[in-house]
Amino acid sequence: MKGIHRFFAGVALAVAVSGCAGKDNLIVLTPDDSGRVGALKVSNEGGEAVLDRDGQALHLGDRHTPPGAPVPVSAQERALFAAALAAQPQAPVSYLLYFEFDSDTLTAESCQRLADILHAAEERHSQDVLVIGHTDRAGDAAYNAALSLQRAEVVRALLVDKGIGGEFIQISSHGEGNPLVPTADEVAEARNRRVEVVVR
Amino acid sequence: MKKILFFCMALLMLGAFAGAQTEPAHIGRVKGTSGMVSIQRAGALKPAFPNMKVYLNDTLLTGSDGAVGILLEDNTLLSMGPMSRLALDKFDFSPARNKYALQLRMEQGTFVYLSGLLGKLAPHAVTLETPSGTISMLKESNFMARFGGDE
Repeated sequence: MKGIHRFFAGVALAVAVSGCAGKDNLIVLTPDDSGRVGALKVSNEGGEAVLDRDGQALHLGDRHTPPGAPVPVSAQERALFAAALAAQPQAPVSYLLYFEFDSDTLTAESCQRLADILHAAEERHSQDVLVIGHTDRAGDAAYNAALSLQRAEVVRALLVDKGIGGEFIQISSHGEGNPLVPTADEVAEARNRRVEVVVR
Repeated sequence: MKKILFFCMALLMLGAFAGAQTEPAHIGRVKGTSGMVSIQRAGALKPAFPNMKVYLNDTLLTGSDGAVGILLEDNTLLSMGPMSRLALDKFDFSPARNKYALQLRMEQGTFVYLSGLLGKLAPHAVTLETPSGTISMLKESNFMARFGGDE
């Protein structure tokens, strides 16, 4: 309870301080993993401005102050985000496990990938693992719906066996309806006989 | 007697079904916290901890030593530093129905936003309300933002 009081006092203080720091508002465009940047528009009652280059920043006032032109962000300004950057969660990671033809047996190669999945789950302290079964288009759709579910069940059982809590795993199955490699019906395609595992 | 029993069971099942229907789906999870982090939900403030689910209309708050990272269901990654306040106002990620919406309110503090599938599939459905105005996404973007708070 004491903690909550202290918390509210802190919030009140921050609001009081920000009363005289209204000009400090800042938006910085940043690249993704591959270095690409997008484009953002900031609009308010004073006008609008667009950010579309890496490392550009807009310094902003309140809702009535027109946004100025973008300027390069300084190292000092970047440092403001150190705590938020340190708190950034790890991105979810997804794995594809492949199966033998018309079977719920994993290929030997895919069996070895299970260790990677466990490692990713441990690293993230994950309690949120998705297991999604798929088939190729050989055989009829109803048969494949059942087979894709069976494949997902097998992978779930393997993950539980290796120590991931069953309550943390959600399974679903897409039958032959969500192929990785589009094919005509009745085509056997190894790359579509798969289970996708997403560790979040 | 058998009939009554059947009727009771049917009622029970109906109840369970109605319960499942009305329970709102979570829109993301807290992935990591440090220092004091809370979630304000339906007027009550509760401490946030890793793997806790977050729901629409939640507000996340950090104290003077706090920081938190959350992962939304579409893989958007959000994190915030000390003395920050973020409200989750709209979230709809339904690719099967072609429905997308994300609206967050960055009230004060420091934020890092890493786009997920909403930003990728429907950048125009993403808006962020801030004390300086509205941020809208013209193309899928990552950004950092800092706001001193409303005056």
